[in-house]
Amino acid sequence: MGLTKRKAAYVEYAQAVPLKYCISADECIYLQKGKCGACKKLCPTGAVDFDQHAETETLQVGSVVLAPGFAPFDPSRFDNYQYANLPNVVTSMEFERVLSASGPTQGHITRFSKDKREPQKIAWLQCVGSRDLNKCDNSYCSSVCCMYAIKEAVIAKEHLGDNLDCAVFFMDIRTHGKEFERFYDSAREKHAVRFIRSRVHSVTPAGEDDLEVRYVTENGDVQTELFDMIVLSVGLETSPQVIDLARRLNIELTDGKFCTTSTFHPVAASREGIFVCGAFQGPKDIPQAVIDSSAAAAAAGEMLSAARDTLTQTREVVPETNITNERPRIGVFVCRCGINIAGVVDVAAVRDYAATLPYVEYATDNLYSCSQDTQETITQIIQQKKLNRVVVAACTPKTHEPLFQETLINAGLNKYLFEMANIRNQDSWVHKNNPALATKKAQDLVRMAVSKVVLMESLKEAELDINPTALVVGGGISGMAAAKSLARQGYETHLVEKTEHLGGQARNLFRTAKGEDIRAKLDQLIDAIQNEPKIHVHLNATLTGVDGFVGNFKATLASNGSEEIVEHGVAIMATGASPLVPDEYCYGQDPRILTSLELDRKFMAADPLLKKLNTAVFIQCVGSREPHRPYCSRVCCTHAVDNALQLKRLNPGMNVFVLYRDIRTYGERELTYKEAREAGVIFIRFALDSKPQVRIEDGRLLINVTDHIIGRLVELEADLLILATAIIPNRDEKLANFFKIPLNEDGFFVERHAKLGPSEFATDGVFLCGLAHYPKPIDEAIAQGQAAASRAVTLLARKTIFTSGTIAETNPVLCSRCGICVSICPYSAPSFREEGPFAGRAQINPVLCKGCGLCVASCRSGAIHLKGFDNDQVFAQIFTLDEAV
Amino acid sequence: MSDWEPKIVAFLCNWCSYGAADLAGVSRMEYPPNIRVIRIPCTGRMSPKFFLAALREGADGVWVSG
Repeated sequence: MGLTKRKAAYVEYAQAVPLKYCISADECIYLQKGKCGACKKLCPTGAVDFDQHAETETLQVGSVVLAPGFAPFDPSRFDNYQYANLPNVVTSMEFERVLSASGPTQGHITRFSKDKREPQKIAWLQCVGSRDLNKCDNSYCSSVCCMYAIKEAVIAKEHLGDNLDCAVFFMDIRTHGKEFERFYDSAREKHAVRFIRSRVHSVTPAGEDDLEVRYVTENGDVQTELFDMIVLSVGLETSPQVIDLARRLNIELTDGKFCTTSTFHPVAASREGIFVCGAFQGPKDIPQAVIDSSAAAAAAGEMLSAARDTLTQTREVVPETNITNERPRIGVFVCRCGINIAGVVDVAAVRDYAATLPYVEYATDNLYSCSQDTQETITQIIQQKKLNRVVVAACTPKTHEPLFQETLINAGLNKYLFEMANIRNQDSWVHKNNPALATKKAQDLVRMAVSKVVLMESLKEAELDINPTALVVGGGISGMAAAKSLARQGYETHLVEKTEHLGGQARNLFRTAKGEDIRAKLDQLIDAIQNEPKIHVHLNATLTGVDGFVGNFKATLASNGSEEIVEHGVAIMATGASPLVPDEYCYGQDPRILTSLELDRKFMAADPLLKKLNTAVFIQCVGSREPHRPYCSRVCCTHAVDNALQLKRLNPGMNVFVLYRDIRTYGERELTYKEAREAGVIFIRFALDSKPQVRIEDGRLLINVTDHIIGRLVELEADLLILATAIIPNRDEKLANFFKIPLNEDGFFVERHAKLGPSEFATDGVFLCGLAHYPKPIDEAIAQGQAAASRAVTLLARKTIFTSGTIAETNPVLCSRCGICVSICPYSAPSFREEGPFAGRAQINPVLCKGCGLCVASCRSGAIHLKGFDNDQVFAQIFTLDEAV
Repeated sequence: MSDWEPKIVAFLCNWCSYGAADLAGVSRMEYPPNIRVIRIPCTGRMSPKFFLAALREGADGVWVSG
């Protein structure tokens, strides 16, 4: 980004894949002037080749997925913010780099002006290059800037301490993502980030590179305030190169220059066979981009399913080194994790300490141990130093053990000759105010891990077939999208719906904000499901039990009084959500007071009353963004704005009011909001502590609300009051228990990873989509249905899986045939041998064993060993607690 | 008040409490550093010998969670 100088030969960025140097032809003196060439002369491996040039290759493909991303808006053309002239006016993208441990200042926040001092006051200006037709042509909302600005403010406070003053100037705060509203609440209440509802007029220089911000407050006063630094929250836009690509590919773009897609085919471009994901489909955040990318892979997979497995290349397996009878030679790798660990723990001291421990042959530290280049380095070190045991002191085995085990496999070591010391999640992150003791704790944890890994041995894994059948729980729109995609990719799919018909909540919806008729499209989808021979629909059916595990589940379905067992390899949770039945605003006391879905039903029935209304009033956030339900229901703003417009279309003379807290028409939904304002819909904002008052007096339906512009209480007499009710998840604890999947405080399922694993669970073989994950509109629900199918197919396509090697094994010589293990095991893994010299003594089925260790702890004869967590291995950790306790 | 701090050894189930301890880190909660965690596959694995050994090694408290 030009924040610091770099040479003509450079690495793109610290985690680049592949991590190789390249030469910038525009800056290279040799390529420009034919002189120098020093790099070629000096390179010991002769890797520099000045004759390389761009080549055009032709590939034969069946479908294309476009993921060209976005370009951050360039604010230098805005003269009022003076980004081009004032050093301390920076873009949000530049500020991200400042916050980054691998950025130009190693994560230390300093001003860009010559004084380089730490700022004490920072302001964020929202909607720069978004929601703006005055100074640029981007009338859409960029969706992500509110959340990233809040995040940057909180991280800046974490870096510089609570004395840093952070102010965010905004129009509407749009924290419509999962857990985002809570983050906004805590930024405001816990971190004291100031939120000022105002569009800043101009920024002028003041004093020594300070900045004066001029803005109008909510009650119309002109204010000025000084800041040390200003961050422009720049929007997302499609680059001219991508617009050109779209033209050459002959695909349509929207008014905002994003790829045109339809609600029911959210990742399909206008030309058949071309799919799109990420910010080119519309401005969006990481989880939504990840969902789209999986959905695009599924959509392409559906088209290409006949060709599946035809171009497979088998990976070369590094032969496993036999380490039997070798003396332990341990390598210890201590991770800095940027500043996540190194900011608290003295990593060099931990590394040096590790080197002194018994059997440790090699100890080092890495900036990011999980980066691809470090993985390769670790592989080389294992081979060069002939290491036969590895300890990584880093984040947590829960997320990163598989990655490091893969590294061992690549180095020819059995993956169980490995142990992790948790010095981030359970050390540096929780003891940040106690670096000395955190360092001591890290050393203890490394010592314990080393003592355990000495006793680790090579283990074998059993191979299991995967049943190529899927079970989808929930026949709503995302469940159907998942089932359809699975079937089209060639997998038998059981679709379980608890009611008597498919369709879920979409049956109650009238039209999308893009103007598509939902009912007609829904009927087409239901038809496609019913005519798909690989889909078996079970209506009026509920799950009453689930046995088994990834690859081999057995679900018991109860429907119409009878039970049926369905065997399946994977399961997708699409259990949906319901609208809140409100208990405020006089709901239920008057037929003129409706919920949003009830209004949709009137639209669908073409109720003639709708045309005759004089005044319609919408109230937003009914049950959402409340202290007891602190999440945004995401869809209600767009829904209400579109319905308000629809009423205006039926009768342009109608008075339509929308009473709201923040309008959250994210992305190109903003255009509907704009259209509604232009059509004369009146928007009145209220605060949580001064909600509108509704009363019925002499048959009149009256609503009192304080108008934020005139600052006075107004009374509206309505013929229709529409309440935008919250979306309430079907908190299904039974299902959560069956599949061992967690629910969050609000009752939504908790995905594997909020950003990178939104459509799957931490439990293997179980996936997630639709409203059960979080409130979302139809296009996003369908995309996530396809995404869940896509993630499921990555497992189904493998055909077999390996079970864990950390399982129990009996020593029949010691077994006393007491039978406790046989009776106690929840997975029926132990049994009595029926023949052979040890007949009558216990044995354990390695496929059924989950490695819990219950039998091991219960065995009175000490005849059972749990590989990986055996007595001597746990004792080794206890005995090396040493001075720790 | 003395400065004495108890030394605690925790045996945490890999599937719940160990994950919860990770989550405490993700949420940047703070707690005193005088605790050492030993990961076990399940509290079913917990043998009385483990906490006797921990107490013998000098632990003031043993916490089993799962």
